[in-house]
Amino acid sequence: MEEEKQKGKEHPLGIVINDAVKIFSDLGFEVATGPELEDEWHNFDALNVPADHPARDMQDTFWIKNKPGYVLRTHTSPVQIRFMENLVKSGGKPPFAIIAPGKVFRNEATDAGHEMQFYQLEGLMIGEDISVANLKGILFEFFKRFFGEEKVGIRLRPSFFPFVEPGFEVDLKKGDKWFELLGAGMVHPKVLENCGIDSKKYQGFAFGVGLDRLMMMKYKVPDIRLVYQGDLRLNQF
Amino acid sequence: MLISYKWLKSYVPDLPSPEKLADIFNFHICEVEEVKNVGEDTIFDIKILPDRAHDLLSHRGVARDLAGILGLKYNDINYPKIEGEKTNLEIKIETENCRRYIGRIVQNVKVEQSPNWVKEHLASVGQRSINNLVDATNIVMFDRGNPTHIFDLEKVHGKIIIRQAHKGEKMMTLDNKEVELRDSDMVIADEKNILALAGIKGGKIAEVDENTKNIIIEVANFNPTSVRRTARAINIYTDAVKRFENDLSPLMADSSMNDMSALIKEMCPEAIFEEMIDQYREKQEQKKLSFSIEKISKILGMNLSISEVKKVLDNFDFEYKNNENNFEVVIPFARLDLNIEEDMAEEIGRAIGYDKINAELPKIKKVVRVDETFYKILWTRNKLLEDGYSEVMNYAFCDKGEVEVLASASDKKFLRTNLKNGIEESIKLNQLNLPLLGADEVKIFEVGTVFHKHGEVIHVCYGDKKNITEVTLDEFCRDIPMTELDALLEKLNSKDQELKIFESWSVYPFITRDIAVWVPEGTKPEKLVQVYKDFGTELLIKEPRLFDSFTKDKKTSFAYRLVFQAIDRTLTDDEINQIMSKITQKIVSLGWQVR
Repeated sequence: MEEEKQKGKEHPLGIVINDAVKIFSDLGFEVATGPELEDEWHNFDALNVPADHPARDMQDTFWIKNKPGYVLRTHTSPVQIRFMENLVKSGGKPPFAIIAPGKVFRNEATDAGHEMQFYQLEGLMIGEDISVANLKGILFEFFKRFFGEEKVGIRLRPSFFPFVEPGFEVDLKKGDKWFELLGAGMVHPKVLENCGIDSKKYQGFAFGVGLDRLMMMKYKVPDIRLVYQGDLRLNQF
Repeated sequence: MLISYKWLKSYVPDLPSPEKLADIFNFHICEVEEVKNVGEDTIFDIKILPDRAHDLLSHRGVARDLAGILGLKYNDINYPKIEGEKTNLEIKIETENCRRYIGRIVQNVKVEQSPNWVKEHLASVGQRSINNLVDATNIVMFDRGNPTHIFDLEKVHGKIIIRQAHKGEKMMTLDNKEVELRDSDMVIADEKNILALAGIKGGKIAEVDENTKNIIIEVANFNPTSVRRTARAINIYTDAVKRFENDLSPLMADSSMNDMSALIKEMCPEAIFEEMIDQYREKQEQKKLSFSIEKISKILGMNLSISEVKKVLDNFDFEYKNNENNFEVVIPFARLDLNIEEDMAEEIGRAIGYDKINAELPKIKKVVRVDETFYKILWTRNKLLEDGYSEVMNYAFCDKGEVEVLASASDKKFLRTNLKNGIEESIKLNQLNLPLLGADEVKIFEVGTVFHKHGEVIHVCYGDKKNITEVTLDEFCRDIPMTELDALLEKLNSKDQELKIFESWSVYPFITRDIAVWVPEGTKPEKLVQVYKDFGTELLIKEPRLFDSFTKDKKTSFAYRLVFQAIDRTLTDDEINQIMSKITQKIVSLGWQVR
């Protein structure tokens, strides 16, 4: 029988990535990408994570056999570094705003909330006076649009990541519940200097949010392990 | 780290209630993981941030920070100094990994049970009382943050030497673990034996026991990296390591030695103290930090006044001077985390409260640059979706490949060299579930990275049960137009905005039944679907799917596939037969005919 050509079904994480990219594009961010197998410089050193510092404990890293100095990126933050290095190399300078959605890896036991691979979205905005108030503004606006009608709120708590100062944990209020959702902060001047950007003149914020987590919250998917099974029953949306 | 409310209160008497304190921690210092009421005390398990491990892994440190945040008085309780008699103790630092070492001989101590207040303090932070001497070291560590150690003087031969171990040297730790050392490991030794792993764990040889009469108290400061490396290598992680590896101020040592002396004096009134020997080779410099209110205001995005900033600095008891908006602060010696203006932005921001910063959208120009890789991925997804392929995201890990990861918690230690193997598996899996998917056939694609010896490449793989194609992203996108990202995104977001909630699926097998029915020509197939839905019960889990229809002699045959599945059990044929016979009865009663 004659039937209309059937469209394929999107993976929910794919939908979430596109939604996020769409919202951030509207807010003035451009997309950046980088490799999944990273060198130590981009994944750690340039981000002000010194060798042998306890901060490296916070991420259980996949190191590559017979390739010393290489890791599966533990976060999308190295894309910040690559973007800024390239910008400076090509004669560019701030202001700029980028997001980098991508796959990241952690060497940890899996359970309903943890996977060895997941997606993160990095955000970075640098200018002459980009502030914590702007970070709050952008994140609030993003979550408001991402979750649609629902009332959302955000709040910052003190935290620490070597590549930012001050550093924050950002909680999201959805309905009447608060969720600990992402890490953020004002880019550490050393990180800017490492990329050749004058930290006396420029400042700005960075954040990294787990996209799997956002997807699970948006569609109420109970277990992260469903995401990477190749089971099309997940493609319901 | 466990923090006792009562202990804190001895330093900050006006502390608010424990309930209120939890919020103060969360929004001004660090996260509270657990709050527990234990007897008359409340215990907070707080997650000290790595940059504050210098000063906050201690009750005094936490009390001082709380007093600063809340603008309350901090009572700095200090014991009177105990002068000592002439000593024969000799200390020699032979390694630059030891910044400071204070030793003190105390004669005529008596090892016995600790008084109750000591036992209670230790119990409140989850520590077992051992004996008065060991307990004294723990009290000082949880109070001041400085780990200390005690040796039995009679078991020490000659002077105390702080040195690097010789490769292959061995020692027995207090908990009877034999450790073989490398020359990168720092030890406390005498002229004959190794007495302790510096900053990590004491040794068996000079252990304090019930017969100990005379002791050496050690209060020292070590290079954090050295301690950390050794602790890692020999896999011993103690409370002392946790503090030393985070870098402590060597200036803490004076008051810590003073406390140790006072505690021992209190518990062993007959003790005779000798004078301290202090080898302090790497002196901590007095640090000053300058900042301007403009800069702090610019970072936080709020307008701070001179008086607001002064109030914060006064509350933290910082010594400072200012010329209008420009401040110079003398950094307290324990605050190794305060180095740059941005650190002061954090200090002022968290004290005032980040909730006081109003959210504000920045004014930025929209950029038109398009990231080529991302554009190609988006274009490819869109193209394959339109061609009827559904998207999967498979694992990057597999059991064979060219690039291997170290120390994986999983048995899949290699990175995939192709997407095809994953797609094949996905097709197999979904082929079995085809009736559940509401599709005619399984068509799948993935866009993802594969890893070869020479590097990583993004691949595109798509296929069905007959045919699978895998090419590089660049090849797939060879002739595509690089139009605007926005337009492409718009296309992908055109679906209705109604939010759907994930529907879980059953892990039990499903049963399909095909049913073809003759109806008079012109009868709408929806009427049949309604019958199936009305009589299919909750076990009919999918929209009935029309897979064949034809018309002959003014009659039309519609063939539907029905899928049955239970969420909690395996269905039996009997159950489904009963449902099917009810459906048949209804169809017959409508004057139609089951083929």
